[in-house]
Amino acid sequence: MTAILGRAFLLLVLTLYTAFAAGPFIWAAMMSLRTTTEISNSHFGLPLPAHWEKFPQAWFNSNYSVYFANSASVVVTAVAILTIVGAMAAHCLSRYRFAGNRFVYFLIFSAIIFPPQITIIALFQTLVNYGLYNSLVGLTLVYVAVQLPLTVYILESFFARIPGDLFDAARMDGYSEWSIFWKVSFPIALPALATTVILNTILLWNEFLYAVVLITDEAKRTLPLGIQRFMGDQLEDVGMIATGLMIAIIPVVLIYAFFSEKLIQGMTAGAVK
Amino acid sequence: MATLTLDRLSKRYASAREVAVSDVSFTVADGEFMVLLGPSGCGKSTTLRMVAGLESITSGDLLIDGARMNDKPAKDRDIAMVFQSYALYPHMTVHDNLAFGLRRRSLPRDEIARRVREAAAALGLDQLLQRKPHALSGGQRQRVALGRAIVRHPKVFLFDEPLSNLDAALRVGMRGELAALHRRLSATMLYVTHDQVEAMTMGDRICIMENGSVAQIGAPLDVYAAPADTFVATFLGSPAMNLLPATLTTGGSALQLGSQSLPLDGPLAAAAARAPARDVLFGIRPEDLRPGDAGASLRARILDVEPLGAETIVRLCPEGLGSEMLMRVPRTFSGRPDEIATIAVDLAASHLFDPATTRRI
Ligand SMILES: Nc1ncnc2c1ncn2[C@@H]1O[C@H](COP(=O)(O)OP(=O)(O)O)[C@@H](O)[C@H]1O
Ligand SMILES: [Mg+2]
Repeated sequence: MTAILGRAFLLLVLTLYTAFAAGPFIWAAMMSLRTTTEISNSHFGLPLPAHWEKFPQAWFNSNYSVYFANSASVVVTAVAILTIVGAMAAHCLSRYRFAGNRFVYFLIFSAIIFPPQITIIALFQTLVNYGLYNSLVGLTLVYVAVQLPLTVYILESFFARIPGDLFDAARMDGYSEWSIFWKVSFPIALPALATTVILNTILLWNEFLYAVVLITDEAKRTLPLGIQRFMGDQLEDVGMIATGLMIAIIPVVLIYAFFSEKLIQGMTAGAVK
Repeated sequence: MATLTLDRLSKRYASAREVAVSDVSFTVADGEFMVLLGPSGCGKSTTLRMVAGLESITSGDLLIDGARMNDKPAKDRDIAMVFQSYALYPHMTVHDNLAFGLRRRSLPRDEIARRVREAAAALGLDQLLQRKPHALSGGQRQRVALGRAIVRHPKVFLFDEPLSNLDAALRVGMRGELAALHRRLSATMLYVTHDQVEAMTMGDRICIMENGSVAQIGAPLDVYAAPADTFVATFLGSPAMNLLPATLTTGGSALQLGSQSLPLDGPLAAAAARAPARDVLFGIRPEDLRPGDAGASLRARILDVEPLGAETIVRLCPEGLGSEMLMRVPRTFSGRPDEIATIAVDLAASHLFDPATTRRI
């Protein structure tokens, strides 16, 4: 009896939490299929009839295709660089004993404590000096720099748990340090790498502050800036914002679904033993 | 096949003040099975890792077939090593674990396939080639680790306590298999262990290490019969050799053990004549004591009788002496605690040690 009560209580809590977490998402999804006029008439109405045509409309007429391409190129490049450079740094810091190892580690890590608002003006000035202001390359570099400390931090603790004997075995098997990184460390660390890929993709895909400060051209806007364009001073095109949101969210959901599968696989396979 | 020579090899870790290994010298002949034996922390692994090229050599020379190896990287020494942790690559199948070292050496594909098949067949891994290490039992992992060394056809095999993670029954089996493997390959092997049974049963010769230095090198039974010092005497053998404080009588014709005395003759009398002082340590193994009064004998109080099944261990206190000794007897032994027994001492199998230097006299 108490067991049933316990389960019921658990179910209740989970239901409430799910409603709390998924509610806004479902609400936005419904609004994405309704026009702004319909929405202002009834905020929580069902999308009947569903205006599917809003998606192609947003994509082609409201420039979302450009925003999407910009976001994709910036985020994919930044995440790729972050993953490889982060893994190399983590491998190096966790595996090689050299003077100043911990100092370098602390230096990288200490960058985490500064909120972006403090560094952004200096960053802005630096980018202007190097001709990287208002360019996607500049934004990509900033994203790499901003996310690298946390990436190295997460990966270092994982790499440090890979037994040193594996590297010694690979050395006895005739492999160079470079090959050992690619053929031993990197594949073993895939679960941790998947974690940082998800984390970085989601954070950067939704990143707004750096983008709004460092990008001005309409043609270089990323998705969060594109959505912001529909938030006017007086009149907000709520319907279109919701459609844009949905376009922005879908890739994140896909990435998460794909990589979290890998993540769980990697962990249950006992990758490090 | 190769000869491995260590010439006054020493190691000081950068982070440590004392040397971990000092002046270790020996030669492993072509096809010989040499065992490095010693308690934990005595520098066995360090020595092995210097041979492997995984640790730098602080001083001394390492030679393979007469060629100096000190500055050659591990990958160019043509040595294979089996690790205590097995160190199997967790993301690769058994097949790829075996083939990994061969691929690097750019052997032809069919040669790699042939060697992997051969090793897998020899170790009974045929059915497991597509498994990942996490899906193997401890014994199977151990075989894969062995196979990874075998497929390489290296000049020298190194083993660092490869059996210590197996349970007791498996260990006995693997011990036999390793010995058989050595006979079949007749390869040069250097094997590290802290287990004296492994050392005694598998080694052509054993090198006993203490605190980073070599204590004694020799064939297992020679070392057992004639330990160089009290450390080797007590380390080898279980229960350990009894060491009793004793005094040589003037003239050296007898040994005073408390209130009792033993007459000396033969090699022991010769040893007594060499003794630098009259105080010595009298060493005798538990199996060289027997109930009875044939030859030299001691009277001793029985403190404790421990039947182990196949044999019985008896704890004794010789009369007039403060220290205890152990005797190993057949299970038919009928003595009881607190009885006084007469114990025959096999003087031909006993030793005198110098208490000052701990060396055998
Ligand atoms: N990487 C290292 N840095 C500093 N000291 C070490 C290192 N590895 C081993 N030692 C020290 O060297 C000594 C010998 O160690 P080791 O060769 O591992 O002994 P064994 O294998 O015989 O148990 C020990 O005192 C150990 O603490
Ligand atoms: Mg060791």
